[in-house]
Amino acid sequence: MNNRLEHALNCEVQDQVPFLPAIYEHKAWFVGATPSQVARNADLLTSALLAEYERVQSDALIVGIDVYNVEAEAIGCSVNYYDGNDNSVPAIGSKGAVFQGTEGVASLRMPDPQKDGRMPLNLEVARSIVKLLGKEIPIRAAISGPFSLAAHLAGPGPFFLLTMTQPDLAKELLKFAAEVIKQYGKAFIELGCGVIVFDSHASPDLLSPQMYRELVLPPTQEIIRYFHGLGLQHVPLIIGGNTTKVLDAYLETGANNILCDTKADAKEFLETCSKARRAFRRNVDSSDFHEVNSDEVYHRALNSLEESGGYPGFILGTAVLPYGTPLSHLTAMREAIQEYKKRASSV
Amino acid sequence: MKELQDLAQSVEQGQVQKVSGLTQQLLDSGVSPQTILNDGLIAGMTVVGEKMRSGEMYLPEVLQSASAMHGSLKILKPHLVREGAQSPGKIMVGTVKGDMHDIGKNLVSIMLQGAGFDIVDLGLNVSPQKFVEAITAHQPAILGLSAMLTTTMLNMKTTIEAINAAGLRSTVKVIIGGAPVSQKFADEIGADGYARDAVLAVDKVKQLLGVTT
Repeated sequence: MNNRLEHALNCEVQDQVPFLPAIYEHKAWFVGATPSQVARNADLLTSALLAEYERVQSDALIVGIDVYNVEAEAIGCSVNYYDGNDNSVPAIGSKGAVFQGTEGVASLRMPDPQKDGRMPLNLEVARSIVKLLGKEIPIRAAISGPFSLAAHLAGPGPFFLLTMTQPDLAKELLKFAAEVIKQYGKAFIELGCGVIVFDSHASPDLLSPQMYRELVLPPTQEIIRYFHGLGLQHVPLIIGGNTTKVLDAYLETGANNILCDTKADAKEFLETCSKARRAFRRNVDSSDFHEVNSDEVYHRALNSLEESGGYPGFILGTAVLPYGTPLSHLTAMREAIQEYKKRASSV
Repeated sequence: MKELQDLAQSVEQGQVQKVSGLTQQLLDSGVSPQTILNDGLIAGMTVVGEKMRSGEMYLPEVLQSASAMHGSLKILKPHLVREGAQSPGKIMVGTVKGDMHDIGKNLVSIMLQGAGFDIVDLGLNVSPQKFVEAITAHQPAILGLSAMLTTTMLNMKTTIEAINAAGLRSTVKVIIGGAPVSQKFADEIGADGYARDAVLAVDKVKQLLGVTT
C-alpha cells in the first residue's frame, strides 16, 4: 500500500513529498474520450482512473470528472453536456438553477445517492476502483462543499446576493446543501472510499473572511464532524484563491489536507499548519501548462518544493489540469520531487 | 449637492429602495438625468470599485450595490433616451465557448455599467460564430471575452480568429479577462488588452476608447 499520503496527513516523516495533481476532465484524455462521454459512463470512468493510476503515478486517485455538478444535478439542476469531439467540461448552465427562493428549501427534493442523477454512477465507479486498487493507493471521491452547492442550486449571482438580502434563507439553503453532502459522502465512506470536499465559490477572492466565518464555516464544520464520526480520519477541503486571509477559519473547519493555492502565502501556511499539525497541498501554477515546456514545469515544481522547508505535511499539487495536458509535465513534477529528495538527503 | 451625495452613498451601501426613491426625488426636483447618472450612480459605483480593489468590499456587497444601481437606471433610462444622452461607448461581453462561469463577466458588466457604458451581454458559452453575428448586429466599440478555465481560454484565440476571418477586427477592440489568462496570453492571441479584475477592466476600456472621465 502506498502510505505516503497518510504519513503526510499525520505530519510524519516519509520517503518523499506526496504528489497530488488535480486531474478531473483530463481523466477523459487517458482513454481517448471527451469529458462529457466519461462523466456519463461508469465503464469509461473506471478505465480512465485505471489509466491515470498507471500513467501519472500520483499518491491518491480521485473519482469524479465534473466536480460540483453531480449533487446539483441529482437535485434537479440541468447540466450541459457536449456532443461529438467537443472536449468542453460539462457544467450547469445559467438556466440550470432550481432554487427560486419563494418557497424556501421546501421546494427542493433531497436526493437519494443510490438512485438520483449520476450519484449511483460515481458510487459504482468508486466501488470498482476500491476493489481493484484500494489496497494499493488511497481512493477519494470528489464532492461539493456547501457554499458551492448552494450557489449552483440558486445560481451563483442570485445566491451571493441572497447572502446579503435574506441571510436567513441563505443559511437555510446552506443547511440543506450540507445534508445532501453528508448523505452523498456517507455512501462513499460505506464503500471504503475517502472523500475530498471542494468549495471554490467560498473563495476569499469572492467572499469576505467575516462572511466565510459566519456563513460557510458552520455547515462545513458540521459536514466534516459527520464524516469524522463515520470513521474517516482525514477530510481534505479545497478552496482556491488567496486563502491566507481565512487560514484560521479554514483550519477550524476540521479539515486536513487544505489548499495553499498559487495566490496564497506558502510561508504563512507553513508556519500556521506546522503549529496546527495539518497537511497542506501547495499548487504549482498550471494556468499556462498548454504553452510551457516540461523544463519550466520541473523548475516551478522544484521552487514549490523548496518552499516546503522539509515540512512532512507538505503535498505537491496543481490546479485542475486542462484536458490534454502533456504527460511529460507530470513526469517532470515527479522528477522534481526526486531531485528535491536527493538534495534534502545530501544536506 | 447633498441629495446627489446621498444617492452616491446609498448606491455604495446597496440600499435598493432608497436609491430608487432618491432618483425619483431628484428627477422631480428638476435635476437632469445625466447629472443623476454621473454624480449619483457613477460616483457611487466608482467608490464600490475602489473598495473592491482594496478588499473592503466583496462580491455580495458589490452585487447589492449593482441591484441598487439597476433600480435607479430603470427609472432614469427613459429620461436619458428622451434627452439624447450619449454613453461613452457600447461594450459587448460574453464568456467563450465551453465556459459556464459568469461571475467575473457579470462583475465586469456591473462595473462598466457603473461607469456609464452601454452593455450588450451575450451570456455564457458563446460560440465564435455567435460573437461574429452579434458584433455585426450591435457594432460595439469593445468586446470583452471571459474565460475561467485553462481549457476554455484557448477559445478566446479561436474567437479572435473568427472575428478576423469575418473582416470585423478593425471595427472592434478586444479585451480579455479571467483567472487563467494574462497580459502575455493577450499579446499572444492578438487581443488589444487584458484586465486582471473588473475595476481594471473599466480602466482598460476607458484607455482604449480615450475616455478621460
